[in-house]
Amino acid sequence: MSSCLLQARNLIKSYDDGNIQALRGVDVDIQAGEFVAISGHSGSGKSTLLQLLGGLDRPTSGEILFKGVSLSKSFDLDSYRSRHIGFVFQAFYLLPTLTALENVQIPMFEGKLNARQRREKADALLRELGLAHRLNQYPNQLSAGERQRVAIARSLANDPEILLADEPTGNLDSENSARIMSILTGIQTGRNMTLIVVTHENDIARNAPRNIQIRDGRIHSQ
Amino acid sequence: MGIAAFVALVGFSRAFENEWLKIYDSAGTEITVVQKTFLNTSVDESVGETLKTLPVVERVVPMVLNMMDITPDVNAIVYGFPADSYELDSLVITAGRRFHGNEPELMLGEVMAETLHKKPGDTLEIQGTPFKVVGVFHGGSALETGGVLMPMSQLQKLADLGNKVTAFHIRLKPAPGQSADERMRNARKIIEAALPNLKAVPASERAGNNQLVVLARSTAWGTSLIALFIGALGITNTMAMSVFERTKEIGVLRALGWKRHRIMKLILAEAAALGLVGGLCGLFLGWLALQILARIPQTASIGFASIRLDQAAETLVIAIMIGVLAGFIPAWRGAQLSPVEALRYE
Repeated sequence: MSSCLLQARNLIKSYDDGNIQALRGVDVDIQAGEFVAISGHSGSGKSTLLQLLGGLDRPTSGEILFKGVSLSKSFDLDSYRSRHIGFVFQAFYLLPTLTALENVQIPMFEGKLNARQRREKADALLRELGLAHRLNQYPNQLSAGERQRVAIARSLANDPEILLADEPTGNLDSENSARIMSILTGIQTGRNMTLIVVTHENDIARNAPRNIQIRDGRIHSQ
Repeated sequence: MGIAAFVALVGFSRAFENEWLKIYDSAGTEITVVQKTFLNTSVDESVGETLKTLPVVERVVPMVLNMMDITPDVNAIVYGFPADSYELDSLVITAGRRFHGNEPELMLGEVMAETLHKKPGDTLEIQGTPFKVVGVFHGGSALETGGVLMPMSQLQKLADLGNKVTAFHIRLKPAPGQSADERMRNARKIIEAALPNLKAVPASERAGNNQLVVLARSTAWGTSLIALFIGALGITNTMAMSVFERTKEIGVLRALGWKRHRIMKLILAEAAALGLVGGLCGLFLGWLALQILARIPQTASIGFASIRLDQAAETLVIAIMIGVLAGFIPAWRGAQLSPVEALRYE
């Protein structure tokens, strides 16, 4: 029996002094170990919802509960992101001056591992993702699919409970898209993690066990 | 460039001070008696008679010091001593002889002789008065080897000083049973009691606080601080640009859980590194400037300057501190970036 890991209660997010409302009262419950797709058209508010669930931003009003505890009241968002969340972005966001091995170590600096342990863990993660031959390559020496795999390895650096992926296949061809989704779902089942994928691709949304559709800042179906 | 200016100017003034100390050390002068007033070098020559009567005083030498244009291109420190002054005993005559009595004769330090292309037997005209070069000497200090020595009465006449002198140099009598500090304290007390309008300054202090050194040091620090301030503005600008250009990178780090203080530390470390590299470059350029100053005639006589290890360390510490201070505002601004805003930045 899974338990409720993340809860959003009447989330509202507005910009420009309230003139733009990205989310207009969203309620959603996400169970531990669940694979959820959040889909919708461009500008529907799906990425905003992901950012709020991941503690990248604060809601204008409403509340997010992690394991029943309010994020705004009881958590330092930096620590929340560092310890509990792994992010995968559409644009990868690897630091161009660091090698794959160094990029994967970035989140670990907020943890307790020493330099050798950080390096060993990053090495193991990259090997797990089939990048043993790319450890010391810089991002501009990697293909788009390899860059996203480095980003996935980085998202797992601190053993988070939740993996948040914002259009993870948006910059990839169909072959690489399928591979990345296969890796993500494999990680979700293999590690019993919660996976939330924001996508506008119907195939990904359809194949997810649960698809939350957002339209104009509101939940349309879930 | 700010650090280079700091190294060159402050290094030059310190070398200047150091060369003064060497003069006192090599001659064995322990106390100098001077006017209390800053920039007043006029002590009456008759004071010497009073000093000779004091029980703590072994030898007294009046001296006149003047900065003069020796030729239109070369200026130097000119020292005037009585011909029998103990101050002259420590000099090594490399050619010719010492000057006699009150004749219009002079001795050139070997650097000055080389600069002027003069040797014993030649005539050197200073401010319209012809002097016979009677000797060339090697002194313990660059200020001496780059200077000119002449009879005190001749320098008084040349500088229109009448019977005024710059200072009296004193050797003290041994004081068995007293520590060095007690002996010095006691001597100063006795001298200042006998001559209430004058002050007795230990030679080691006098090297650092004679008017020329004080002026050189003040000018060096003042100019250097302005140069350092301009350098700090440069680092602030560089770091602000760096933070601006790396907004997205900072956003990624924040998104991955890096706390604000870690972002600040990262940017401050870069600013410190920038300061260190600037400091090393400045140190080299400053050293280069000192080498050039030591070779051009207008400044060679004032003192050859090298950079001591502690001065180099002090310079690097100042450079790093400037880097950190200058990087603080950009670092703080970088740390305040919201991850979402920073990731959206293009």
